[in-house]
Amino acid sequence: MTDKLDLVLERTIDAPVELVWKAYTNPEHLKRWFAPRPYEISECELDLRPGGIFRIRMVGPDGFDTGHGNAGCVLEVEDGKIFSWTSALGPGYRPAEMAATGCESFPMTAIVTFEDAGNGKTAYKAVALHANEADREKHEQMGFHDGWGTVAGQLEEYAQQLAAEA
Amino acid sequence: MLKDSTRLDRAFQALADPARRGMLSRLAHGPATVSELAQPLEMSLPAVMQHLKALEESGLIRSEKKGRVRTCRLQPGVLASAEQWLVDRRSEWEVRHDRFEEYVMELKDKEKDK
Repeated sequence: MTDKLDLVLERTIDAPVELVWKAYTNPEHLKRWFAPRPYEISECELDLRPGGIFRIRMVGPDGFDTGHGNAGCVLEVEDGKIFSWTSALGPGYRPAEMAATGCESFPMTAIVTFEDAGNGKTAYKAVALHANEADREKHEQMGFHDGWGTVAGQLEEYAQQLAAEA
Repeated sequence: MLKDSTRLDRAFQALADPARRGMLSRLAHGPATVSELAQPLEMSLPAVMQHLKALEESGLIRSEKKGRVRTCRLQPGVLASAEQWLVDRRSEWEVRHDRFEEYVMELKDKEKDK
C-alpha cells in the first residue's frame, strides 16, 4: 500500500457496529449516502458475497445519468468486519470494461473494515486502491467537480429563498 | 460560476481578519447594534464601521438603520458557501464517508425511537 496510490480514511463513529455495517452494505441504506448531492442513486444492486454484483446508477437534476452503470464485483465479505469490492472486475470475477470518461473510467478497489471500538462505537477504515497516481487524482477531483455543482446549487437555492422573503 | 467565485473571494477576504471573525461570532448569537459590536473591541468607531462595511460587502452580514441605530445580522448563505467550498476541497472518497456517517447517525436516532 502506498500513499501515492491510495485514499485512506480512518474514523470512529458513535454507533454500534451492526448498524454501521447495515448502513454500508444494505442497498436501500447505501442509496441514501453514496452519491454527492444533488446527485442520487436511483438503482443499487449489491449481492453480498464474493463474486456478487455491485452496481449503482447515479442520476442528477442536470440530466446526468450513468445509465445502468458498470457492474462491479464484491471481493470479500465478513459480516460486520470487512467488505471489499472492485470496479476492475464484473460479477463472477469477469474482467470489466472501463467507461471512456467519468467516474467509471478508472478501476479501483475499495476495502472497508469495521471494528467494535467499545462503548457502542465503531472504528472503520475505508481504503480506495488505484492503479496509478493519475487515477487517484481523478478520484480525488471528482469531489472537486461535484462540489462546484453543490455550491452553485446552494447559492441558487439561497437566492430563491431570499427572493421569496423579499 | 464567476459570480460564485467572486462571492467566495470576498467572503474569504472578509474572514481573513480576527476582528471581523469576532464580530461574526458575536452575530452568530443574534442581531446586534454597531455600538454593541464595538463595545468589546479596542478600536475606534470608524475602524469598526470599516470592518462592518467589509463584512456587509462580502454578503456575510446585512445591516439596517432605524433612526440613529444601525443593527447588523448574519446572512448565513455566504458563510455556508464558504464552508462548503472548504469541505469540497477534500476527496470525494472522504466526502462520501462524511455523508455515510451523517446517515448512520440518522439511522441510529430512528432506531432509538422504535
